[in-house]
Amino acid sequence: MTTRNMPDLQTLIADIAWPVTILLAWLTGELVYQRLRLPRISGYALVGFVLAPGQTGLLPAERSETMLLMANLAFGLILFECGYRINLRWLRNNPWIAVTSVAEASATFAAVAWLLQWLGQPQSTALLFAALAMATSPATVLRVVNDQHSSGQVTERIIHLSALNCVLAVLTFKMLIGITVFETSGSHLGALYSSVFVLAATVAVALAFGTLIPRIVGLTARSTHDTTLAFAIAVICVVALTHGLKLSPILGALTFGVAARHHRVVSSTSQRGFGPLGDLLAVLLFVFIASTLHWRQLLAGAGIGLAIIAVRQLAKMAGIGVFARVSGISARKGILVGMAMAPMSAFVILVMEQTRHIGIDLVDQLEPLAAAAFALEILGSIVVQRALIWAGESQREQGG
Amino acid sequence: MPLEPFSASAALTMGVELELQLVSLSDFDLVAGSPDMLELLARRPFPGTVVPEITESMIEVATSVHTGFSGLLDQLRSIRDALLWAGDRLNIGVCGGGTHPFQQWPERRIFDKPRFREVSQLYGYLTKQFNIYGQHVHIGCPGADEALFLLHALNRYVPHFIALSASSPFVQAHDTLFNSARLNSVFAFPLSGRAPFLLRWDEFTERYFTKMEHTGVVRSMKDFYWDIRPKPEYGTIELRVCDTPLSVERAAALACYLQCLCKHLLERSEPPPHEDDYLVYNYNRFQACRFGLEGTLVHPKSCDHIPLREDILTTTRHLARHAEQLRCTAALEHISAICHQGSDAHFLRGEYARRGVVEAMVDSALQRFRA
Repeated sequence: MTTRNMPDLQTLIADIAWPVTILLAWLTGELVYQRLRLPRISGYALVGFVLAPGQTGLLPAERSETMLLMANLAFGLILFECGYRINLRWLRNNPWIAVTSVAEASATFAAVAWLLQWLGQPQSTALLFAALAMATSPATVLRVVNDQHSSGQVTERIIHLSALNCVLAVLTFKMLIGITVFETSGSHLGALYSSVFVLAATVAVALAFGTLIPRIVGLTARSTHDTTLAFAIAVICVVALTHGLKLSPILGALTFGVAARHHRVVSSTSQRGFGPLGDLLAVLLFVFIASTLHWRQLLAGAGIGLAIIAVRQLAKMAGIGVFARVSGISARKGILVGMAMAPMSAFVILVMEQTRHIGIDLVDQLEPLAAAAFALEILGSIVVQRALIWAGESQREQGG
Repeated sequence: MPLEPFSASAALTMGVELELQLVSLSDFDLVAGSPDMLELLARRPFPGTVVPEITESMIEVATSVHTGFSGLLDQLRSIRDALLWAGDRLNIGVCGGGTHPFQQWPERRIFDKPRFREVSQLYGYLTKQFNIYGQHVHIGCPGADEALFLLHALNRYVPHFIALSASSPFVQAHDTLFNSARLNSVFAFPLSGRAPFLLRWDEFTERYFTKMEHTGVVRSMKDFYWDIRPKPEYGTIELRVCDTPLSVERAAALACYLQCLCKHLLERSEPPPHEDDYLVYNYNRFQACRFGLEGTLVHPKSCDHIPLREDILTTTRHLARHAEQLRCTAALEHISAICHQGSDAHFLRGEYARRGVVEAMVDSALQRFRA
């Protein structure tokens, strides 16, 4: 045997870094879930952060387009499921749900924008970040809901409200990007492209898939009975297409889910969370997101980061709590819904990575953001879990 | 605690209890919605009573005491409208049907109440399997002995009610080939089946209930899951074999069919009930559960084999005179229409065949309940 056939150690480590990290993350997730009764994803995030290039450095330092695409796919699958569990008719039957959504999202936007400007951030940065802070990450919400087997009004409302505020956040964010492009380049066309066109094209792609795919699946429904695989493949196509066209994969996957749900009165059973495929990609997603964070950024932004979290949380709880009773639930459950709206990391970080992908670097401008995102990456899922348990909606806490 | 005395009530009055499904309007699966529904319903007067059931995906409503079809139907409609009002605000759909066609029993949550927790501890998975939905009809009896007479005289007609109300063809996403699969879940309980053949109340309490209580197996009438059981505190007998129908109109019609039958039986023109009638009881009940209106009955006295559908149609003709007096001719017309058009189980199977997915049955059931 010659040394030429021996693998180079550096290459080997680089090759197995991600698989080993995912294995460790999965194991930690299971331990955290069974021993500490905490959400699995908090374990994934912890491992991702510890092994990140900025910390122990097991994971490679260069940003990988492939990993970003994979993370987008994972997020896409979760968003699709989220969209699929949205009933738009509910907003018509109970308009107070829509009012609640607009209230909590705009309260969050106003409060966070005010805080950042008061802290001396430039207006454009403050507004962009305030737009992102509106969103609650449906990924975290849905993974915890599925982990806890929860059902009830808090569950139902956090799914609907997080999907709605993601849409509101993407719309606001893209509009602000459009304005920023106009202000820096003076180009109407560029501004229009990066806002209106991106949004319209994304929705068009998603609606096309949302109309076509259920029809195609309908042809095979009787033979396969379970449409999980068909929809998983379709989501991958939508995400890859929107990612490749530099559109919004988040809005795309979510809209596709909503469209698929509403284009057939009902569709056949898909496994919750896309079964083992969804579980695998979720590990990858939460590890990847935590691995983009650097401890130096966190430390530098810790103070402001915590202030952002506090203000955002208060705005959400107030915006939802005020309309709780009139929208049909007790004030207590309203506050719990507001509390469970905490997670934002997956959403924020993917949008920022995506924005970097189209040439605007936000991460380096805003260290507090990274701090807030990390705190919520670990804590957000625990807060959601607590809210569901206190609301009495968690099946797991009943002991089966 | 000895059995309480049988409090007499006006003969042939009736009351209906319905166990209803709570489903998510987003994905049509059952949802643990009863605490939220009860919270919201408590904000305004409810046109009847509404209480939680053992799992949080069920809710039970009951009417007050009625004498006729139209009054009963009016109240059931108001109850339905109140439920729909609350459900629409919470994204919760309310519907009938004896089983949910694709729910998975491990996902169910037990309502937080001591008796329910106790039952859940005792019966284990049976409790969650018991996530089934029935209609109970109470008929008022002037005395305890009349109650026991009616209870046993009705034995030959029990399959009618099973077949007419059948609305549980699917369990856990698969066609069971039964029309009422729900009753199979009831049979799993040790104290299900029929009441012992005793026709005098003093005999029933002394020779049966006191002894059973002494064994420690039962503490109250609530521990018996019989097809028909006496309810001494209301002064009624309670028929418990019906699946919850998909519409309140059908629920009211079934109650009135029972009312007419009781009026007919109290005339005592038929040969009196006998212990041996029960030789064919389980066989007939199976026929009704499995084949619905297509089943065949064995007459307990003559041992003739009679198609179930034909037996019901013959009975409705015999009851026409009573129906006129009780002002419920419309109810009997509804019963004949079921015989001609098919039961709810038949309708649900049709929806599955037409639309190809199990969720479609829930969607159709929701529309039927709302219509």
